[in-house]
Amino acid sequence: MPGLATIETRLTGTVAVTGLQPLAAGTYPCPMDDTRIAGRELVAAVLAGRPGAFERLVREYQGLCWHIIVRLVRNPEDARELCQDTFLRVHRCLHQYRHESTLKSWIGRVAYSIALRHLERKRIPITASEDDDGYAAMENIGSDFDLEAACAGEETVRHLHEAIETLPPLQRMLLTLYHLEELPIPEIAGITGLASGTIKSHLFRSRLRLRNALEAGKGVAV
Amino acid sequence: MNDTDEREWQAQERAVQAERLGLDSTDDDTEVRRYRLLARTLRERLPDTLPGDFASQIAARAAAPPAVVAAASDRFESVLLAVLACLLVVSAGVVLARDGQAWLPAIRATLPAADPQDLRWLLAFVGCLGLSWLLWQGLLRSIDGSASVRVR
Repeated sequence: MPGLATIETRLTGTVAVTGLQPLAAGTYPCPMDDTRIAGRELVAAVLAGRPGAFERLVREYQGLCWHIIVRLVRNPEDARELCQDTFLRVHRCLHQYRHESTLKSWIGRVAYSIALRHLERKRIPITASEDDDGYAAMENIGSDFDLEAACAGEETVRHLHEAIETLPPLQRMLLTLYHLEELPIPEIAGITGLASGTIKSHLFRSRLRLRNALEAGKGVAV
Repeated sequence: MNDTDEREWQAQERAVQAERLGLDSTDDDTEVRRYRLLARTLRERLPDTLPGDFASQIAARAAAPPAVVAAASDRFESVLLAVLACLLVVSAGVVLARDGQAWLPAIRATLPAADPQDLRWLLAFVGCLGLSWLLWQGLLRSIDGSASVRVR
């Protein structure tokens, strides 16, 4: 599994691709700081009872909560109810937020724990055993197959969505947070309480499993 | 993670970056192209979503019901406290009236004779207690007032 150095290299590569000139050390604007400041102001506004502040907070983070919860519990009705519970709890407990993590991570953690408890009550396991996640099938796939060219049709995309739905809840959620929400792995770790290495491992294995499913559907694999 | 896995991870990550940046897939090597469709599909919006007025509904719910529930709960606590205090006073009166003759004289005998100096100190002590209680009540009222303003 690549470490931070690998990710650093990837980011440097991104700068080169977009043609941006690197700034001098220490002059990079830090989006994390901006996010923290905005979060701090929003929390202060909600706690001061400023009109519309809590509604703004909900609007800002409802997408994240929805993605976490619906990916874990799957049922949209349950997910809507759990989203409501999440924000009501956020409203009740916001005074306990100590700004140790970003507001996004804190709210995400509330949503995650509420969805997790729901799954525990329903006795639904959130992850599969390593034998079930398709990891072992990696060596059996043809390496020169051009999946991008072969899988352009709507049917294939539908098949891929179905394959995503068959993933265990935790892997589904991690993929959505990483790909759709574009959260960095450390922030996902902050939400889920999982180690970064574990998250990377889940991402790696589930993407491999989905690729296997796609290529098997196209008659390539095994 | 062995070398094969490491290469696979790199291909997955390059596909993610390429999709985020919207890069043309013709420049990708075969390994990355294998993950481009996957990365693209995983970035698609989920079909079901929350209602459009979700935020305003939740904000309304968060503001109104807890205040009502809290007020009702406070009222219930006050009434219960008053009833229990009355019950205590009545019980003490009943016990005093029924059995007081047996043990009150014995208690009185053990107390030292009242000294006017002691009485002044006792009055000062009671006065301090009363003043502290009044200040405490005032403080509680001001906290309640600011909390109700915040909930509004």
